[in-house]
Amino acid sequence: MSAADLSAEPTRRPFTGRRVRFGDVSLQVVAGAAAFGATLLVGLIVWKVVEGSRLSLSTFGLGFITRAEWNPTVGHEVYGAGSFIFGTLLTSSLALLLATPLALGVALFLTELAPRVVQAPITALVETLAAVPSVLIGLWGIYVLGPTLRSQIEPWLHSAFGFIPLFGNPSSAGASVFTAVIVLAIMILPIVSSISRELFRGVPPELKEGALALGTTRWEMVRGVVFPYARGGIAAALILGLGRAMGEAIAVTQVIGGTPTIQWNLFASGDTLASKIAASYQGAPSNLFSSSLVYLGLILLVLSLLANITAQWIVRSVARKHGVTRGGRA
Amino acid sequence: MSAHGLSGPGLRLDRLPRRRRMNHVMEALSWLSAAVAIAILGIVVWSVASKGWSELNLDLLTKAPIPFSLTNAPQGLANAFAGTLVIVGLATAMALPVGILVAVYLNEFAPASIRTGVGLALDVLAGVPAIVVGIFVYVLLVVHHGGQSALKGAFALAILMLPFIARATIEVLALVPNSLREASLGLGVPQWRTTLSIVLPRATGGIVTGTVLAVARVAGETAPLLFTSSIVGTQVHWGPTQALQTIPVAIFELSESPDPKDHARAWAAGFILLLFILFASLTARWLATRSARKLAGR
Amino acid sequence: MPKIGTSIRIISAVAAAALLAVVVAGTADAKAGRQTSTLTGAGSSFVSPLVAQWVSPIGAAYGIELQYSAVGSGAGIAAITGRTVDFGASDAPMTPDQFNACNGCVQIPWALGGTSIMYNLSGVKNLLHMDGPTLAKIFQGQITKWNDPAIAKLNKGVSLPDQAITVAHRSDGSGTTYNLTDYLSSVSPSWASQLGKGTTVNWPVGVGARGSSGVAGIVASTPGAIGYADVAFALQNHLKYFAMENKSGKFTTPGSRGILAAASSDQKPAADNSLSIVNPPKKFPNAYPISTFTYVIVPLQSNKAADLKHFLFWAVTKGQKGQYTAKLRFVPLPKSVLVVAEKAIAKIHS
Repeated sequence: MSAADLSAEPTRRPFTGRRVRFGDVSLQVVAGAAAFGATLLVGLIVWKVVEGSRLSLSTFGLGFITRAEWNPTVGHEVYGAGSFIFGTLLTSSLALLLATPLALGVALFLTELAPRVVQAPITALVETLAAVPSVLIGLWGIYVLGPTLRSQIEPWLHSAFGFIPLFGNPSSAGASVFTAVIVLAIMILPIVSSISRELFRGVPPELKEGALALGTTRWEMVRGVVFPYARGGIAAALILGLGRAMGEAIAVTQVIGGTPTIQWNLFASGDTLASKIAASYQGAPSNLFSSSLVYLGLILLVLSLLANITAQWIVRSVARKHGVTRGGRA
Repeated sequence: MSAHGLSGPGLRLDRLPRRRRMNHVMEALSWLSAAVAIAILGIVVWSVASKGWSELNLDLLTKAPIPFSLTNAPQGLANAFAGTLVIVGLATAMALPVGILVAVYLNEFAPASIRTGVGLALDVLAGVPAIVVGIFVYVLLVVHHGGQSALKGAFALAILMLPFIARATIEVLALVPNSLREASLGLGVPQWRTTLSIVLPRATGGIVTGTVLAVARVAGETAPLLFTSSIVGTQVHWGPTQALQTIPVAIFELSESPDPKDHARAWAAGFILLLFILFASLTARWLATRSARKLAGR
Repeated sequence: MPKIGTSIRIISAVAAAALLAVVVAGTADAKAGRQTSTLTGAGSSFVSPLVAQWVSPIGAAYGIELQYSAVGSGAGIAAITGRTVDFGASDAPMTPDQFNACNGCVQIPWALGGTSIMYNLSGVKNLLHMDGPTLAKIFQGQITKWNDPAIAKLNKGVSLPDQAITVAHRSDGSGTTYNLTDYLSSVSPSWASQLGKGTTVNWPVGVGARGSSGVAGIVASTPGAIGYADVAFALQNHLKYFAMENKSGKFTTPGSRGILAAASSDQKPAADNSLSIVNPPKKFPNAYPISTFTYVIVPLQSNKAADLKHFLFWAVTKGQKGQYTAKLRFVPLPKSVLVVAEKAIAKIHS
């Protein structure tokens, strides 16, 4: 079979007006039902999550989103998502801030600098980091990373930069927002790096060689050709990484300490939407409590969907601009 | 395509030494990033291996856990290993056929608009956080519906696996040459037969790769199982109608315990889980390159 | 006509075989000789060390596999109310509202123990002295250092370091929290008015943890920490705990003597079978002031009635024997309570 037979477009039925067979119809119906079901699944998820949060929705309404109180005292139950939304946004954006330069650096290394023979193994190694389960990274965070941060890094940062409210007094318990930020950064590094690597690989070589021929250094070429070309895709990668960080429940709940407050000290304990759900779902002492947890899940779902859809939209518009089909090897 | 900063004053020769220095700094930082990324992986794997080593023995796989043991009787996590096998196996059995059917529909039958729509839905589904999937299955199947069970946990994991398998199958189906389909149809084979007997077998490599990657992904997934299969007993069971313990949930619970022996067991179980996942990921990667070569080589 | 691809055949055959194997194993497992039925329960982590000791003797005696999940008393009540488990367990007696929601449940005292106040401080001995008002101030965040004069006054001759106190409390709905806050409300008027008693309160300071083992974990790993849990957790993890001053001025510990003395302060269960033995009056000089009964909550009508009755009768009689309770510092139920418990268990029917 010649290469020209490989089409990027999926097949169509080549003969029209052919006699329709029962087998064809059944396959199409069954497969179509599967596709339909898969599409409906997202809607079903949204619907069921809304249904589960109905009690809390009707009790607290939209004010839940901004209220920073979470008081389960029997008889005075008041719940609100404010501190958790704050924690989610704080930890995810800081994690992204930490992970992005590293991820871009790795992607650049693999596409521009690495000798061909080490490209494949190092790519495999970086992507292996994505395969480590979050519960293991959390376990490592509790017993290896957390104590190291608490005994050495946090006191040093506090003494050196204590005037910045982010670097306040280290908490004695070892669980802190800072540990959670680093754990999250480790978890989103492989995603951002592998998407960026694909993007950098997709830059047309003639553009890069043209710049080099003009006498630019390699860094100037990257800055002037590669980054602008891949700009949209990198934005999508960052947003996908942000979405992943916002949704991470297990590793965060293991290291963050579970204290819902709105405060900027990274070295104190905190809480996020996902981590609160993971920590408290089992121990819900009342229907309003568990409904409020599902309400937190609804907010998390909305945030993740927003991030995901934005990233998809960017990817598709960039792909249209550059004329490559999704998933095609350039 | 405008290239920023590459015109005129940006490329001054008299600034060359400074530009070269900048280039060296950036290249060094790039090398450093790669080194840091690999170092992180190395540190995590090393921690898991070294801390789990002491409890890594056959008891871990064959003995049941004994919470609050007053004696020093040997204990392990046999129930978790059995439960993981059952739940991940059932999840694969649920997700694989659906994933393949979705891919077949998108690639062989669907018009462009439906293809984009369903493809978008799959990508969005892939972005739903695992904990939200757990809440979904909890509200749908657990609360007011008879409580937890391994089947419900497997269903949650299957939702997570579906986009992976569907996407991998779509990509590999698209690589199967059109000429094959046309030749088969030209010989009078009905389309459904063509798809099932001619096209799908050629795609087996990619399907297996996608499935192995999906399995690697959900074998370590904790959050959905907290909602669907966490009130468990200590004995080994294989029946899927009750809640079964799983390795990630066991690690999660042991990690919060104050007993250092529990931690050691968590590390050891984590080590085995990590080995399995690494092995699965690398196998999938090897299979992918092999099948890509096969499809391109013909 | 080409046959269906061999690889597809193989894959489907393997998948079908695997599914069949699981289903067969599942049904065979259910009929297996040794374990014929399961009882699932959830709730109090206070009583979970004792329940864990009961699992294998119950299995041996009746072929029942006990599956118990220590999710906290609050969640235990919610679980049995939703009938997602066969029995719930709580150290906090249910409120009338909770009884209504549970719709035909009965609470039965099935164990008796004490809440220890654990601490992690190197260089000092075990069983430092502590009294109620000082403890309340610590949990309110008004006393923040170990060498505070209030603590020093209670422990003359002990050199206390200038170490910050980290409070560890429960983040989930906890009967142990109820026990502690019940005690603190009775010794500290400001605690009673500002925080009250309950399975959760609005803790002004401290780090939260899930379950008694979570609190024990924080105390074990944080120098200077103070937390509270059933004394079994302190013993299991070799954590130090305070000797608390009771109403008669003696400093007592959560051991068999102290808990039994506290239990004699309330020998008659109320109409809902609850008892209150927190901060007993002066005439019980040996009482440990933070002791509590703990309850199992079962529906009066259950399709697992036979198994439940076997289990619960065994638990309140043979399950109280020294071989299960002594090392964990649970105390066998007093006779008057046992009688009430057995009468209640007998009422369970299918």
